[in-house]
Amino acid sequence: MRSIEVTLRNNPADISVIRSALDRFGAEERIPGKVLIEMQVVLDEIVSNVIKYAWPGGGSHDFLVRLSIDHTTVGVEVVDDGQAYDPRDAPMPAPASSSRRPPPGGLGIHLIKQLVDFLEYERIDEHNRVSLKKRFVAAALPQNEASDGKRRA
Amino acid sequence: MANGGLSIAHSHSGHVCVVRLTGRIDNSNASEVTTQLSGLIVSGEKNILVDFDGVLYLTSAAFRALLIAADQAERNAARLAMCSVKGHVHDLFEMGGLLDSFTILGSRDEALARLA
Repeated sequence: MRSIEVTLRNNPADISVIRSALDRFGAEERIPGKVLIEMQVVLDEIVSNVIKYAWPGGGSHDFLVRLSIDHTTVGVEVVDDGQAYDPRDAPMPAPASSSRRPPPGGLGIHLIKQLVDFLEYERIDEHNRVSLKKRFVAAALPQNEASDGKRRA
Repeated sequence: MANGGLSIAHSHSGHVCVVRLTGRIDNSNASEVTTQLSGLIVSGEKNILVDFDGVLYLTSAAFRALLIAADQAERNAARLAMCSVKGHVHDLFEMGGLLDSFTILGSRDEALARLA
């Protein structure tokens, strides 16, 4: 398991910081493109939610994002000391009564649930800890690197 | 490309106003999609086609902007349709359960033919 940790501030500008970190992590760890894009969406949604809603009283707050990968799973963990919020409890967006369109709220958490294989939440010591994991099939190594690996083995 | 990598341009093809989105749509810039579409609806455009051909990435912020615009279009007797929704952008519409919430019309040429 390899991982990196990034501390963010509750400032929307920091979304680009974690997005760049995931881009670099994905390239280094050879996360398949489709999986990387889907985890970018997940990260955007969950980090945006923390920035917008975790501290209703405002002020400047830091929170932690940990990106991890093993052979078959990429993970995102977010730890913040904002108000308690369990994303598993978020209701599905209900269709508006007068329209076939849903109201424009609640879609972010719904998308997250669709995109990941594992969503866990804990409230520990006045902190929210959300853990999201997605399984993937590792990309084959390029031929020369695969043979290098065989030689080293 | 300013504003987190999204550009918005519009042009006319007959009586259809085509809004071409290019880049990524997320929380940092989705309000610009709302502003642009709202402005066109208020100005009296009755057939608006949003072209996703150049969209590389979007989040639920984009869906919120489109849902608001679709409701506003309906209130103003305007048609709001989308075209070139493909690849992982299409997948995200599907995961959001939104394919049936909007009028999505294949390629730009197919859409223009349908809206003509």
